[in-house]
Amino acid sequence: MRTLNERLANVRAEHVARPPQRPSDEDRLNRLARWFDARMDVTQNGTVLVVERSVAASEATVQALAQLSPAAYFDTETTGLSTGAGTVIFLAGVARVSAGRIRVCQYLLPDYPYEPALLRALTADLATASRIVTYNGRTFDLPMLAARLTFHGLFHDQATLPRTHDDLLPDARRLFRRPLGGARLADVEIGVLGVRRSSDCPGSEVPARYFGYLRGGSPDILADVLDHNFQDVVSLVLLEAELWRLRAGGWRNAMVLDPRGMALELLRAGAVDDALELVETAQAVTSDPAEATALRRVASRLLIALGQVDRAEQLWTLGTRRASVDAAGAWIEVARIRERHRGDLAGAMAAAAAASRVLDIAFALGRGGSIQEVGRTRIAVERRLRRLRRWVAAAERRAIREARHRRVA
Amino acid sequence: MLTAPPSNADEAIASLLADPSLARLITAHREFEPRGPRHAPWPPGLDSRIVEALRGRRIEAPYTHQAAAYSAANGRRNVVVVTPTASGKTLCYNLPVLDAVAKNGAARALYLFPTKALAADQLVELRALADAADLGLKTHTYDGDTPANVRSVVRSAGQVVITNPDMLHAAILPHHTKWFKLLENLEYVVIDELHTYRGLFGSHVANVIRRLRRICRHYGADPVFICASATIANPRELAERILDAPVELIDDNGAPSGRKHVVIVNPPVVNAQLGIRSSSLLTGQGIAERLIRNGVQTIAFARSRTAVEILTTYLREALPAPPGHPSPIQGYRGGYLPNERRTIEAGLRDGRIRGVVATNALELGIDIGGLDAAISVGYPGTIASTWQQMGRSGRRASTSLSVMVASSAPIDQFLATHPEYFFDSSPEHGRINPDNLHLLLDHLKASAFELPVPAAERFGLDETPMLLDVLEEDGFLRRAGDDRYYWSQENFPASAFSLRSAAQENVIIIDTTGDRPRVIGEVDLFAAPMLVHEQAIYMHAARQFHVDRLDWDERKAYVRAVDVDYYTDADLGVTLKVLDAFEELHGTDGALRAHGEVMVAWHATLFKKIKLHTHENIGWGPITLPEQQMHTTGAWIVPPKAIVERFGRETLDGALIGWARVARSAAALLLMCDARDIGVLAQAQAPHTLRPTLFLYDAVPGGVGLAERLHELHPDLIGACARMVRDCPCMDGCPSCVGPVAEVGVDGKATCGELLAALA
Repeated sequence: MRTLNERLANVRAEHVARPPQRPSDEDRLNRLARWFDARMDVTQNGTVLVVERSVAASEATVQALAQLSPAAYFDTETTGLSTGAGTVIFLAGVARVSAGRIRVCQYLLPDYPYEPALLRALTADLATASRIVTYNGRTFDLPMLAARLTFHGLFHDQATLPRTHDDLLPDARRLFRRPLGGARLADVEIGVLGVRRSSDCPGSEVPARYFGYLRGGSPDILADVLDHNFQDVVSLVLLEAELWRLRAGGWRNAMVLDPRGMALELLRAGAVDDALELVETAQAVTSDPAEATALRRVASRLLIALGQVDRAEQLWTLGTRRASVDAAGAWIEVARIRERHRGDLAGAMAAAAAASRVLDIAFALGRGGSIQEVGRTRIAVERRLRRLRRWVAAAERRAIREARHRRVA
Repeated sequence: MLTAPPSNADEAIASLLADPSLARLITAHREFEPRGPRHAPWPPGLDSRIVEALRGRRIEAPYTHQAAAYSAANGRRNVVVVTPTASGKTLCYNLPVLDAVAKNGAARALYLFPTKALAADQLVELRALADAADLGLKTHTYDGDTPANVRSVVRSAGQVVITNPDMLHAAILPHHTKWFKLLENLEYVVIDELHTYRGLFGSHVANVIRRLRRICRHYGADPVFICASATIANPRELAERILDAPVELIDDNGAPSGRKHVVIVNPPVVNAQLGIRSSSLLTGQGIAERLIRNGVQTIAFARSRTAVEILTTYLREALPAPPGHPSPIQGYRGGYLPNERRTIEAGLRDGRIRGVVATNALELGIDIGGLDAAISVGYPGTIASTWQQMGRSGRRASTSLSVMVASSAPIDQFLATHPEYFFDSSPEHGRINPDNLHLLLDHLKASAFELPVPAAERFGLDETPMLLDVLEEDGFLRRAGDDRYYWSQENFPASAFSLRSAAQENVIIIDTTGDRPRVIGEVDLFAAPMLVHEQAIYMHAARQFHVDRLDWDERKAYVRAVDVDYYTDADLGVTLKVLDAFEELHGTDGALRAHGEVMVAWHATLFKKIKLHTHENIGWGPITLPEQQMHTTGAWIVPPKAIVERFGRETLDGALIGWARVARSAAALLLMCDARDIGVLAQAQAPHTLRPTLFLYDAVPGGVGLAERLHELHPDLIGACARMVRDCPCMDGCPSCVGPVAEVGVDGKATCGELLAALA
């Protein structure tokens, strides 16, 4: 084992003997630019390397996005996942749709000293769009960009960034995560967008590639990273178009879609009838009882929102015929609707009592399902009964008080 | 039974001191006269709302030291304030900080405390004052307990951020872009409890401050540092070393104090032949019991966690609570969970708790107000911490008492017999070595992550460029075309090391007695093999727990409540390997003294079961746990051949053990440091020298320079050892010099004396 002092002594000796041999910055910069056929913009902060590429956009994509305000689709590659001050953005892709093509500008950092120039050029580019679209950018790409701008004191540039920011991750999660079993951009590409990446550089390898290049590696090791980033922003464009199509009625014939998530979106957009149609269809075709119950719950909420409390109640009473744990659950929902939305305490009590009875029978017949399931339902039933009893008692007290009041008056 | 209302503490203390049975044990008694306050006028320009708020608290004028601190800080001079406990030290920094914020809402300050508990206390105090002055101050603690939603608010809007060096190191500095509002407008940095930043921890903190200053420069800020410290010999030097900047010292205390008695008690000799004294624990317990019984609110300090628990148990037995009431006696130590500690602190303040037994966790300035009496059972290790424990007792008006009960350890006995040393000599030096290479490299990495390092920049050492090249060679940094070194790894350097090596990871203690497992506390990794090895009796809140299983990999100890009449004590085996000698001075006849780098490994091998009260050994068992290692600096001494060859192997072994024992005490006295900062090991046949050798080493990884200093002080060290052996009145060795005969052998003491004479 070499001790630290020995090592220092060695370094000391080498330090004198060997002046650092490094290829000149300019050579490396030119080589990198040539390799990727990049544009070299000379700015007052230094040289910026921009790789421009484009790909044809389908008619459908162009039409869909024409309905939305023009956006910059933005994704970064960084030297690490921590957003600490030592992590930098070494590649930023910005995609736009124009004249039937998806045009991508990739800002590539030749070395750390070029960072301020890159950041200023990138921010100026983003600033011309009316909004920024990202995937998980709310927690990663944009805070990262903000951190880098702060680091270099570029507060004015930061202020020019578009105010509107649409992060597609929450939408994708809501609509695709359950059917796809995940909502990484790669999952969505394969399952929804039909994108096949021929070769790809796994995200976890990205920082090591860049460090490899900086330590004197060939620019070629960055080629996959550039492709990866290019595909990311192109997919963002396709995804936003697809989301628009789904919302504009495409949900009726979508192959992959979470009906519950979509119904919530429709509800939020005020299209309650559409939402109901979606869930009722989904409920009819699903073979998974848990999913069916979940869908029924969404439908029930939708009906109540539409003021159709009767229909909402019917949705549940249909499911109470057979003595089962599910039936007990349905009775609880009936009790809830009667209590909350009809103000019918007596009816709610009756439904809750029915839930309790059905549960007893189901248990006795051994149709209970797992012990946990029965236990959970039992707790829910008892809780509602207790609550209702309290409400009924309170209502009675109130009635007595009011009667007395009237007498006094 | 403690049902009578507290009587007059003055009388109780007077009657105790007059009692002949105690008086014959007192080896020194000093009485400090009451001192009146000295005030200064309110500094001109101080915001009037703050003055009004303080007047509202019946503070009509600041004490002289508070006014001096304000004017120094306000004049942009770094300052260190050194005054005793409860002298209004916090106002020394709260005054300039609140004034700055009152005048400029954008101004920011950063407070550093060594522990979360102290930070929480300061938050309460600062808020109360700021609210009274109606400043609308935005302040919060920022540590592991801060909820995530509060964190972002603290980052952007907190005017005074209260945190600890560990958070500054691992959370704030590496993410400084999120903190730029604080850093850009940073006017003051407050470092309280400066004296705790010594040794390895202090060396780390000095490097964290270097990193903080680099980033402040980056954002164009140049904060003034206000430090506060307990009494140490070199507060100004320590502050200047930590800040790497000139610092003004303020030590003229203007606060009043009541009459105070300070006594040193030496327990009686029960066996003159063996030099055995009665236990300091039992003597201390007797004094505490009597004081508490007479209504004197008392705090007793014990040196180890085990001693705290034993003393708590004894006192609770002697002073039972009325049925249905919680005990008025509480234990307080590091392993307790935060809410348990808070309850105890509150109980002390409102008087429900009449007596508390603590480790030095309470020694730090937790604001529990002054108590009537403080008892240190055993010398706490340094003069500074003794005075700090003694400072826990002290009222503005009435009489207070501080007692130090000497144990049979050599230093304790030295102080009991030479009390003038304690009263008259200056307290310890706070020593740090921020340029310890191991540390410096780690912090240089962290700093380069935070901000690229220009090739010409100096970080601590003039050799910074060489260190940068070492780090580049190892692939951590890369020098770019602009001649700056950039962090060039994916990971996050500050997360790779902790400022407190021992506290890096804790072993969690899980009580499996009840129907569901419950976490009752934790111990640090270093202490775990000693305290929670399998079959150990772990004491918590005066209850005994048997350790059923220790899952070393998961850092979990599973314990079960038991009621047994013994406790356990583990033996630690230490080995040492010399890695590199920096200097070897050969004397005549094979004598050698040297210093260099060493690797120390320790290993808990077996434990003893010791019966409560009688302290007899009633059994033992093995401990099977992995070895722990430390790379540090050491000094070693080989005696001449001729003297060694005169003795048989067994005699020599005993003499070496005895020499090691006195050498550690002598070294602690010479260097004015805690004996626990120095490790010592005697080997009859050391692998490196192939001769009988005594090793003294820094007990922290990397070392802080103690060993090298001992190497320089060789003649003084040998002289002090010789005096300690010669002047001890025992015949063949006792726990107060070379150790008991049972350990060093019949000729141990005499042989040790001869060895030392030959080395002199």
